[in-house]
Amino acid sequence: MRLVEHEAIILDREANQVHQLNATASLVWQRCDGQHTAVQIAEALTGAFHVDLETARAAVVTALRRFAELGLLRPGRI
Amino acid sequence: MDTLTLNVLNQVIRVHCAHPMVESLLSMAYGAMRGDPGGADLEYTVRGDASPERFHVVRPDGESIAAPDGGALLALFDADVAVALQRRRPDLYFLHAAVLVRDDAAVLLVARSGGGKSTLCWALTHYGFRYASDELGPVDLTRLHVHPYPRTLMVKRDPPASFPMPNGVRTSGGIHVPTHVMPGGLVRAPSAIVAVFFLHHVPDAPGPSVRRLSTAESATRLYANALNPLAHGGEGIDGAVRIAARPCFELVTAELAPTCALVATTLATISWGRRR
Repeated sequence: MRLVEHEAIILDREANQVHQLNATASLVWQRCDGQHTAVQIAEALTGAFHVDLETARAAVVTALRRFAELGLLRPGRI
Repeated sequence: MDTLTLNVLNQVIRVHCAHPMVESLLSMAYGAMRGDPGGADLEYTVRGDASPERFHVVRPDGESIAAPDGGALLALFDADVAVALQRRRPDLYFLHAAVLVRDDAAVLLVARSGGGKSTLCWALTHYGFRYASDELGPVDLTRLHVHPYPRTLMVKRDPPASFPMPNGVRTSGGIHVPTHVMPGGLVRAPSAIVAVFFLHHVPDAPGPSVRRLSTAESATRLYANALNPLAHGGEGIDGAVRIAARPCFELVTAELAPTCALVATTLATISWGRRR
């Protein structure tokens, strides 16, 4: 992964794809490390983007769902 | 047997043409790259039959490949030379892109095959742009200069009547425009990259539009169009990010004339910013 101006570029060599994440998704991705729960990630979003917790939770769910669809997550990572 | 010697990216490519038809076809396509005879870095032999039309290309490694017609020959030769050049010049970051130059500043047009890159390239040569390439953009990442690759421009279908094409050579691949008829002339030396446009053709768009892209999105799109990213550091991402530091835009293309005008206007904005 490469972080460029708060946006992540992810190279998936197995799938031969490259992905660009916006700032929100990038923050979620950086915390997909097996150490953070979805709630904790949402709380981080509220501080970074000045949104309420409900909005942040929805963003986290959307991001995680998309990561899973793209095959970017390992089982049990979150 | 005629011999065609090309000099591109400081590589000497010698092509032995075993039939006048072969020499005529390859000279048409690559004549702007002619160079002085000298020690060859790459050597090909191309044999041809007129009736029925068919060709055989003997590659530098000795392998022989058949092509059923002139269009297939040019496509095969082009692909092989492109790969060979990437191997011999791994210092350059090769992009699948058209390249035009105006006021000594290079503009890259990036689009998927069939995305209108060559047609827009042809149209822009009528707006003061000089032609550098319609397919290959070899970038010097240190200086952010792009080298010319003036193979003949090829479009898949006739452009609109507002941009008439002179009597080009038609093959199964498309319509090849001789480089000597380019309205703005040719580029002969590397040029500094000033902007990148990622083309997106929307058939029912009311008009062309342009949107500035973030560095990350631009780098991602460039990476997807890089031909030899793994020859460079950071699995090629570093190179894409470096190029993406230049202003990059998504260009929704529509009718050619207003699209060309929008490109020119957008570049003028960039130039104005650089002079301040």
